[in-house]
Amino acid sequence: MKNRIKVERAIHDMTQAELAEKIGVSRQSINAIEKAKYVPSALLALKIARFFEKPVESIFFLEDEE
Amino acid sequence: MKTNYLLPHKYKTIGWILFLLGLISGIILFIVGYEVDILKVDVLSILNVEPLFGEDFGFFEIIENSIMDELIALAIIVGGLLVGFTKEKVEDEFIYKLRTDSLVWGLLCNCFVLIFAILFVYNFTFLHIMIFNMFTPLVFFIIRFNFLKFKAVSHEE
Repeated sequence: MKNRIKVERAIHDMTQAELAEKIGVSRQSINAIEKAKYVPSALLALKIARFFEKPVESIFFLEDEE
Repeated sequence: MKTNYLLPHKYKTIGWILFLLGLISGIILFIVGYEVDILKVDVLSILNVEPLFGEDFGFFEIIENSIMDELIALAIIVGGLLVGFTKEKVEDEFIYKLRTDSLVWGLLCNCFVLIFAILFVYNFTFLHIMIFNMFTPLVFFIIRFNFLKFKAVSHEE
């Protein structure tokens, strides 16, 4: 699963640590999700999307082979 | 993230102190050959078999024993449990996954080392391996968990 959290962060001018704090998760989580090393739970994906005020599908997308 | 087996974060520091003190004094005890006479006290022994000196069985007797090794072993195990099973400052699903992954990794790693030792280490030396083996699952788990946590923040863009 790919995502555009990094882009959204850049738009909002936030660091990983700031985003992590706003959402209430660890910095490690944001870092791992951003690098697509960790697929977040539906709950966390929804929280991230709600924070950026966008639908989940515009932040997380399936890759071709998935 | 709700977990039912993690202790509050405040116990982590005391865990590290116990764990490291235990490991250091354990290594010292290993170097001196487990032969220490300090802290000799009467203890309750529920079963005592001494095959080298006939077939003497002892049930529920009071014997004299140096409790140094017992204290060190308990410090490593209790300290290790506290380090591994207390909440992080920010506990979430990713940290939870790192913890369980590290546990699996630690157990597997320990089993492979043990298999290797069973195949290639014999006699009295194997007893030393067994002693180390009481603690290595926890030690491998803690090293792996902290390594992964550190790695996950170390190369931010």
